[in-house]
Amino acid sequence: MTATLTPAPEKAPRRARASSGASRRRDSGPLERQQSRLFWPFVAPALLVYGLLFLAPIAYAAWTSLYRWDGMGEMEWQGLKNYWILWNDPNFASSIVNTLKILVIGGVITFLCSFLLTLVLREMRAKLFARSVLFFPNLVNAMVFGAVAGFLFSPDGPVNAVLGWVGVETPPKWLGTDNVFTLIMATLIWTATGYYTTIIMAAVDQIPPYLYEAAELEGASAWQRLRHVTIPLAWDVITVCAVLWTVSSVKVFELILLFGGSNAAEPPMQTWTTAVYVYASVFPTGSVPKLGLASAAALVSLVMVGLFTVLLRRLMRRDPIRY
Amino acid sequence: MTISKKRSPLRVAGLAIVWLIVAADIALLIWIFLTSLRDTKDIFARPFALPTSAELGNYANAWGEGGFGAAALSSVLLAVVSSIAAVAISAPAAYMLARRRTRTSNSITMLFAMGLGVPGQVLLVPLFVAMASVGLVDTYTGLNLIYIGLALPFTVYLLTGFFAGVPLVLEEAAAIDGASGVRAFVRVILPVARGGLITAFLLHFIGSWNETLFAIAFMQSDDKVTLPVALVNFVKMQQFNGLDWGTMFAGMCIILAPMVALFAWMGSRIIQGMTVGIGK
Repeated sequence: MTATLTPAPEKAPRRARASSGASRRRDSGPLERQQSRLFWPFVAPALLVYGLLFLAPIAYAAWTSLYRWDGMGEMEWQGLKNYWILWNDPNFASSIVNTLKILVIGGVITFLCSFLLTLVLREMRAKLFARSVLFFPNLVNAMVFGAVAGFLFSPDGPVNAVLGWVGVETPPKWLGTDNVFTLIMATLIWTATGYYTTIIMAAVDQIPPYLYEAAELEGASAWQRLRHVTIPLAWDVITVCAVLWTVSSVKVFELILLFGGSNAAEPPMQTWTTAVYVYASVFPTGSVPKLGLASAAALVSLVMVGLFTVLLRRLMRRDPIRY
Repeated sequence: MTISKKRSPLRVAGLAIVWLIVAADIALLIWIFLTSLRDTKDIFARPFALPTSAELGNYANAWGEGGFGAAALSSVLLAVVSSIAAVAISAPAAYMLARRRTRTSNSITMLFAMGLGVPGQVLLVPLFVAMASVGLVDTYTGLNLIYIGLALPFTVYLLTGFFAGVPLVLEEAAAIDGASGVRAFVRVILPVARGGLITAFLLHFIGSWNETLFAIAFMQSDDKVTLPVALVNFVKMQQFNGLDWGTMFAGMCIILAPMVALFAWMGSRIIQGMTVGIGK
């Protein structure tokens, strides 16, 4: 079955593209000249805004991370001491562990669920409707789900009431310190699955149906079709999804903020992620802001994204498949 | 595709699970809405009961004392202004980046794409310090600027894809007719790429409507907070006298309603926009 999918000669298309680009550059007609004259006037505003509001701040964050600063007084040179403080801070360690849990465990479960859903949705009636409903939670501020979970899972709330009807007398302490993060991850997986299912489905729709027909004629089961047709042919998209997931899991913030209807000034520490840690260091309750430390923590999360992206690209590299 | 008409038990189970999740999603939304119409004590006594009468008292509370009314105005203002500005700034740049494939152009495209990987918390301290030094903390201008900056990587990326799909013959025809480059862009290209511009606007609107980290950091006075911040403040305000769930659900419905409406109206465009370009 996979024998029909010959890997494309990798160099050929690239060379073709390069030569066509060169030929276009050679015949610089009036249109070409016009566009080259307008290049900077068109691009400069966006580049300027981007530089000022995005790139410069990243550099400034790196610089601030070397100082001790409360935002008011003098900045005090620290060198790399902020990173040392982070290394020894149990709260930061648990924030990193939580972020990694979301990234790795949450990621694996989300992608498994997305594939299983794709498998079912591909051949389902009303699949567009089902897909839309599954996608919708991505448009909702995650705080809403956090707050609703606080109501649904409260000790005498609806979930426990339903469990009581079916005879569960001692339900787990859903919002207790041991379980609340699992519940947060479950919520995240539920919303994210809708998103990644949609992306993977779009990629699967591009796969020519005759490949599936051929596979079925040869007696391939649903699992074998997934393993030998869908996954290899959607591999590029899966790689991009993995990178997207990395970035989005390092950013998780809203969901934690109100989860379980926590109305303290800060969410409980065992649920913190790196984003919450940064926020809590900039706006602490009852102590002075630690802007240098916050910047250092933010940079650690940026480096995490970078490392995981490189790692994923390495691990997931495959020869491209042409079909 | 058409061959698999036979239903294996596994497949039936799969279908059942998918429909169960779909039904649960819809039920959750409906339940949130119905609960927003009910009295707090009543909600706890019988969580799944229907509202006895359409009590709009929760909404009046949320809109007035809860601060969701003022916050809704702030949210609309910020989302609309920053989305229009972000698209207006990104569109010409994306157009040129899609058209000119020189080394400079390619590296600028890469530079924007790299921004997609930067988590927002990296910019929190620098932007706060910068905005404080020019007195723009707690102002609409400041937060608008931040939202525009945050939106640029994705908007440029999205629109570059759209402009790359616009056939080059259009500009050639416009050039032959003697239209200047700017004129051709405004009168010929933009109308053709309208779909992409609308999608970019929509996605940014949704993004800033729900944005929480920067809104909560920058908007401090009660008349300027956005809806997500209003929700956080409302929950904190009730710390000592027990949460008024009815009013909170009403507030959440105010946050949800525009998203439901937009999705019902232009759902396929939104889905396509949020997943486009990833398949390529």
